[in-house]
Amino acid sequence: MIRSGMATLGVAALFLAACGGTGGGTPQKKTELTLYNDKGAWTKYFDEMGALSKQKIGLGMKPTGYTDSAQYQAFIKASFRTNVKPDLFTWQTGGMLEEIVKQKQVADTTAVWHEAIKAGDLSQDLAPYYTIGGKQYCVPMNVAYWGMFYNKKLFDQHGLKPPTTWDELVKAAATLKKAGVTPFYHTSVLFSFVWFEQLMAGSDPDLYDRLSTGKAKYTDPGVVQVMEKWKELIDAGYFVNPGDKTDPGDVMKNGKAAMISFGTWFNTSMTQRDMKAGTDYGFFVIPNVNPALPKTSVIFESGPLCSLAKAADPDASTKYLKWWTSAEAQEKWATSRGDVSANPKVQIKDEALGQITKDAGSGKYRLVNRYFEATPPPVLTAALDGFGKFVTEPGTYKEVLATIQKEADEYWSTHQ
Amino acid sequence: MIRRAVLVVLGLVWLYPTYLLLVNAARPAASYDPATAWAPSGDFALFANFAAALDKADLGSSLASTALYSVVSPLLGVVIGAMAGYTIVVLRLRHGFWWFLLIFGGTVFPSQMLLVPLFVGYSDAGLYDTRAGMLLVYTAVNVPLAAFVLRNFYSGVAFSIFEAARMDGASTFRIFWRVYLPISTSALAAVFILEFTFIWNDLLFGLTLTTTESVRPVMTALAGLMTDVYAGTPVPVGLAAGLMCSLPTVLLFLATQRLFARGLSLGSV
Amino acid sequence: MRRSSPILGRFRYGYVAPAALLVAGLLYAPFVWTAYLSLTRYDGLAPPEWAGLANFGKLFDDPALLTSLRNTLLWVVGTMVLPVGLGLLVAVLSYDIKGGAWYRVPFMLPYALSGAGLALVWSPILSHGGIANVLLGVDTAFLQSAPVNTLAMLLVWTWQQLGVNTLLFVVGLQSIPKEPIEAARLDGASGWRLFRHITWPLMRPLTAVVVGLALVASLKTFDIVWVLTQGGPGRNSETLAVTMYKETFVASDYGYGSAVAVMLTVVTGLASYLYLKRQVAS
Repeated sequence: MIRSGMATLGVAALFLAACGGTGGGTPQKKTELTLYNDKGAWTKYFDEMGALSKQKIGLGMKPTGYTDSAQYQAFIKASFRTNVKPDLFTWQTGGMLEEIVKQKQVADTTAVWHEAIKAGDLSQDLAPYYTIGGKQYCVPMNVAYWGMFYNKKLFDQHGLKPPTTWDELVKAAATLKKAGVTPFYHTSVLFSFVWFEQLMAGSDPDLYDRLSTGKAKYTDPGVVQVMEKWKELIDAGYFVNPGDKTDPGDVMKNGKAAMISFGTWFNTSMTQRDMKAGTDYGFFVIPNVNPALPKTSVIFESGPLCSLAKAADPDASTKYLKWWTSAEAQEKWATSRGDVSANPKVQIKDEALGQITKDAGSGKYRLVNRYFEATPPPVLTAALDGFGKFVTEPGTYKEVLATIQKEADEYWSTHQ
Repeated sequence: MIRRAVLVVLGLVWLYPTYLLLVNAARPAASYDPATAWAPSGDFALFANFAAALDKADLGSSLASTALYSVVSPLLGVVIGAMAGYTIVVLRLRHGFWWFLLIFGGTVFPSQMLLVPLFVGYSDAGLYDTRAGMLLVYTAVNVPLAAFVLRNFYSGVAFSIFEAARMDGASTFRIFWRVYLPISTSALAAVFILEFTFIWNDLLFGLTLTTTESVRPVMTALAGLMTDVYAGTPVPVGLAAGLMCSLPTVLLFLATQRLFARGLSLGSV
Repeated sequence: MRRSSPILGRFRYGYVAPAALLVAGLLYAPFVWTAYLSLTRYDGLAPPEWAGLANFGKLFDDPALLTSLRNTLLWVVGTMVLPVGLGLLVAVLSYDIKGGAWYRVPFMLPYALSGAGLALVWSPILSHGGIANVLLGVDTAFLQSAPVNTLAMLLVWTWQQLGVNTLLFVVGLQSIPKEPIEAARLDGASGWRLFRHITWPLMRPLTAVVVGLALVASLKTFDIVWVLTQGGPGRNSETLAVTMYKETFVASDYGYGSAVAVMLTVVTGLASYLYLKRQVAS
């Protein structure tokens, strides 16, 4: 009924005289692709990539950026039902990717992956995040490893070194606290999950994986213990007040907290504030809470760049994705943002970030999918709210876990 | 005197956050510290911050489409809405209250929920990514407000004006165009200001219904700078971006001031 | 409105038609779609499955919705007192003094700022350890616990919206015929009595506009909450519109989100009908 109503309106709109715009009738051979993304702030970097690809492979690219990822995802999903076909679009790994693959909307990129791994442009370790039912879909748009950014000057001032064990980390926090410096940052908005995922992954990564697939419950003793551990750290006064709305970049710069856990992309915040890696700030891998674990758990985040199964020009889209994974493209993409790359051949200028990328590529760490991607949207929504409540009122952790589990029960009862 | 004093004191309170905005937008990007945010910085870096924001946002396309939407749609909306208000009140349309409710009802539904159905409908109707489509949706959103304000404004205008014009043999449309529109300049201007600001700052429809540079509002990239953590934008640059987006609206406020000055209003005929 | 016979003229319906068609086609049609979705289970992707009234049943069983209702009510009441009430004050104080328009400039400026800009300006003020803490000599995180966070956001809202309400009130005040006021002055009325008995009744048409618009806007409060707290922490500052948005777009539960939207629409529609019936139709 909507459709016919809108069609009538289309006629009504004629009196407004169409000026500009596309409408229908897409050409079959494209020389310029559209790339829809929810990183509106990266428009400049995408434009630069478009210029480079035009020059290198004769295929240009124009970004269409969104600023609200929820709105963006709703738009992409709705576009599957319309004749608006993005040539390329960014998405999320995990359940979100599985969902649209199941609806047969995403182009198979198994061949691209096969070649890229053979050529050493992509690491085999990344493949699982892009594999559904034995086939690969999309390619990595960006990757990030999560660790601890720390204020080097504060560390030096109090004779601290990047910790290699959990005990050292807590000891460092105690030292800072005693000297009147707040050790850690956390927040009640959006990134409220960071410490939960870190403590889970460092205590029992298997439980973390089971939790994200609905095979374990948020009320299980292992999860409760993690919350108690987190509460212990909060009660010890190691965290900034979650009501502090200062931008984390400024928290770090002004020493409001000595350590902030974020993905490697947080580097951009540092460099834009004129902070120098190695002298003003540093980065270390957060040690496991449980020292008995065989490998250090590192939270890993990757955003896919996808193309549609029914793309207007499937060959061009595939060609573009293939080029995107190449060292030539990735060199530019990573360095322009000061971030790491999915391509192991790319030289990372920042020493600490280069190291973690190399180590992760060589299998030194157990990579754990970031909570944001690993958890299905309804459960994630409840959890982000829950952790937000918890950091404000740590005493409520049991209630919080029960609320998240209620949502998880509802979700997994229909999605197993 | 007391009136002026109250206005000045209240005005100063209101200006304080504006002052913070200006001071921090003018601060060198790397020297922002929330603990001393109220103190002006010795260095004046406003233009450097403007440049940084523009550079990152890469405003390749012109401002033309955004300007087109935020001027033409309110104009259309104001005239269409005023005409509806005039018909209902002055021409005493039968069941006028219900017609009015029908039109005002357009504001009741939460706009976020319009997005997906509008997008699907637009792509079917070939309106997706067209300037006509954008003008259409913005006009529709503006009509209820204009109809409400003008309906009520006209209800306060003496009916004898209409009767006198009628005696002179003017048609109903002519009376609307030559008599009622001119006497409601201040109301029309107020509605225009509201609607211009809404469209100028809109990200909802602008993002969902367009894709090409020549159709898409320019504010997208600039807004992304301010909200996206992945962008890592320093606060002063974000504020400078916000300030830049606000400038046209502020200029409009100042330019229309005269219309709201005492004595110029013709509504008191 | 006088209930006399309608003015003749063939084009009367032609004059309201553009407005009615635009509104019906672009703003009502999507509501029909949303109303349909509220009766289904839908994730925005796979075809919607019929769910009957299950989503509406969930409305009554959702503790978060109760919080949203409470906060929304606070927004409605608060909006009437602050942006509307203070807006009236500023308008009355400034409309007939020399250079009055310039006294109103400080109140208009904030309206130009977009939502994202608003958050950037106010976060450092309301933050724990922020400027408001220093100025007031307190140690409160204004955006954390309820209902303080909603009240704090209400103040930010007042800062931004006051100017618009003032502007509309000024239009109303300036459209008042001069004669009744002069007559009352001659009878010795002045100050509060003049305002209460002569000015206030005469400016009613525009007062109804300001209150009517504020009523609808406050029931649909979304942007400011979304940019400052996203409804948190722990959903304690959510409004109905925020709940609707989160359920629909963030959690991809389009069915339930649509049910909240339908409820919000019905409440807003009913409230505006009841108000407008008294103010406009009589």
